[in-house]
Amino acid sequence: MEEDILTTLKILIIGESGVGKSSLLLRFTEDKFNQDQSLTIGVDFKTKKLTTEGNTVRLAIWDTAGQERFRTLTPSYYRDAQGAILVYDVTSQPSFAKLDTWLSELDLYSTKNNIVKMVVGNKIDKENRQVSREDGLKFARRHAALFIESSAKTKDGVQCAFEELVQKIIQTPGLWESTKSNKTISVDDDEQAGRAPTCAGWQCNAI
Amino acid sequence: MEEILDEPVSSDDLKKFEAKYYKELGNGLVSKESTFNYAWCLVRSKYASDIRKGILFLEDLFRDGNEKERRDYMYYLAIGHAKIREHPKALHYIRQFLTLEPGNQQVQNLEVIVKKRMERDGMKGMAIAGGLVVAVGSIVGLGLVALAKKK
Repeated sequence: MEEDILTTLKILIIGESGVGKSSLLLRFTEDKFNQDQSLTIGVDFKTKKLTTEGNTVRLAIWDTAGQERFRTLTPSYYRDAQGAILVYDVTSQPSFAKLDTWLSELDLYSTKNNIVKMVVGNKIDKENRQVSREDGLKFARRHAALFIESSAKTKDGVQCAFEELVQKIIQTPGLWESTKSNKTISVDDDEQAGRAPTCAGWQCNAI
Repeated sequence: MEEILDEPVSSDDLKKFEAKYYKELGNGLVSKESTFNYAWCLVRSKYASDIRKGILFLEDLFRDGNEKERRDYMYYLAIGHAKIREHPKALHYIRQFLTLEPGNQQVQNLEVIVKKRMERDGMKGMAIAGGLVVAVGSIVGLGLVALAKKK
């Protein structure tokens, strides 16, 4: 099955502590919800295969701790990420206000300048909303980011958030094709050497 | 899932937090934060000597830490030990953690990875031992054949 996968994409999840980053990831990867989701220590990692518009990709998702004491080291995980999900809690205005800081962190530390950003307003199942959908959308537009509201608890918007992010990454030229060009080079080498292309050059890079 | 044990710290990060730690040490007062950041880099290193050094720092931090901090130290002690293939020690910290937070997904996942690696190491050990038995067996066998031929 491995050869069906187009590429592996590195995705980051960032945002304030307690906004539901790990819950979104748990809902997306295992379709589970844990009412007492514990605080992430440092950085957690999960993978998931996703097929959208006929393309299957493997997502390598780094879920960072939102707590202050991990702030100095988590940016080292931003390297080479192709997509970033910035999460806030729609029932917490401060978590929304902090998105500015998270965006500038991202701009400072991400190594790909065309990284695709998605702003996610989570916990829409709750009643005491403090951030309107319009405000969320406006913020995302201003920063050229995708936008969605979600509830990890009720599943609303979760799958969609990841799918849209992946579609946008795939459509972004130069963001993910580096492994593909490796393949092309090895095939070209084979042809230059006057040999019929064998599977060797292809298969090694096709992860 | 095993990326959590395989992702290496960048040498820039390691150098940066090492410098910060030793600068503070030179000034005579090292903060818990700098020690932890340095230890976190060390246990993510490719080199066992770095990882062991990181483990020593984390053990100190753990001894003096409050409950909230201890969960971080326990987690990275488990990661450190798992990286240098001291799986029983890694499991020790994982179990200690899970008695405090039985539902913690992140640590449960680490437990699965460590157990898998332990099993793999066990199989390798058995394969080596099995290979030895076959080797010794064939030498004895050859000897017997030679003896039989002599007669």
